[in-house]
Amino acid sequence: MKEYNFTLKYRLAADDADHDAIVERLGEAGCTDVLVGVGIAGRLALQFDREADSAQDAIREALEDIKSAVPTAMLVEACPDFVSATEIADLVGKTRQNIRKLMVSNSDFPSPAHDGPAVTLWHLSEVLEWLEARKEYKLDKALQETAHAAREVNVAKEASRLPSRSRELETLVA
Amino acid sequence: MVRKPHPKKDIEEALRHAEAAGWRISVGGSHAWGKMFCPYKEDVCRCGEFCVTSIWSTPKNTGTHAKALLRVVDNCTTHKKATTAKEDKE
Repeated sequence: MKEYNFTLKYRLAADDADHDAIVERLGEAGCTDVLVGVGIAGRLALQFDREADSAQDAIREALEDIKSAVPTAMLVEACPDFVSATEIADLVGKTRQNIRKLMVSNSDFPSPAHDGPAVTLWHLSEVLEWLEARKEYKLDKALQETAHAAREVNVAKEASRLPSRSRELETLVA
Repeated sequence: MVRKPHPKKDIEEALRHAEAAGWRISVGGSHAWGKMFCPYKEDVCRCGEFCVTSIWSTPKNTGTHAKALLRVVDNCTTHKKATTAKEDKE
């Protein structure tokens, strides 16, 4: 079994937002392999160091644990998935300048998931895959697996909140 | 010392590191041993949720929990800025 590190962020329902009570329930459920962040009212951040056979299993089990301990909490985001250039640099042990250079000098560098005036974000799994295929980067296998699994969760979450997806749109953006 | 020490040595060391960086520690709970509070109350602080972090009494893995607590203290963006500025001056 390998250890996978990931973070799940939740929004709490108004009638079950007492952090102390929630932390006790997580402890009761044996979720003591998680670091619980309670710095924002109405929010819960859970940083897992979880052992499992795969990253998908690790995240799935974590989601199940939270579903049963805090049933009304809504998932905001699974991390690591959306990352900035600085975060990519930190994760692969390079400088930000180094990563920026790769981005501007390679037209096949993955496209960003969000390209805004204040921040540009990529999907970590796509960037890691690209780095692995093109350059001789020593990448952490567990991180690659986790980034992919986190992205699956975020995509599933988005799709579930917007059930009426149009097939036509899917072909247009493909 | 005023504060009750954490029964696990690794975690107690992590808590002392946090206190040295200005974090406040409050004791209370059952499965939870207590909480630690970030010293910076800035709106620009990006750590957000982990500005208050829960500490377990008996975590699944003591060493991992201690390391995770250390990471929160050392990765705080405001703390990083403050220490880098100090290093630049020196």
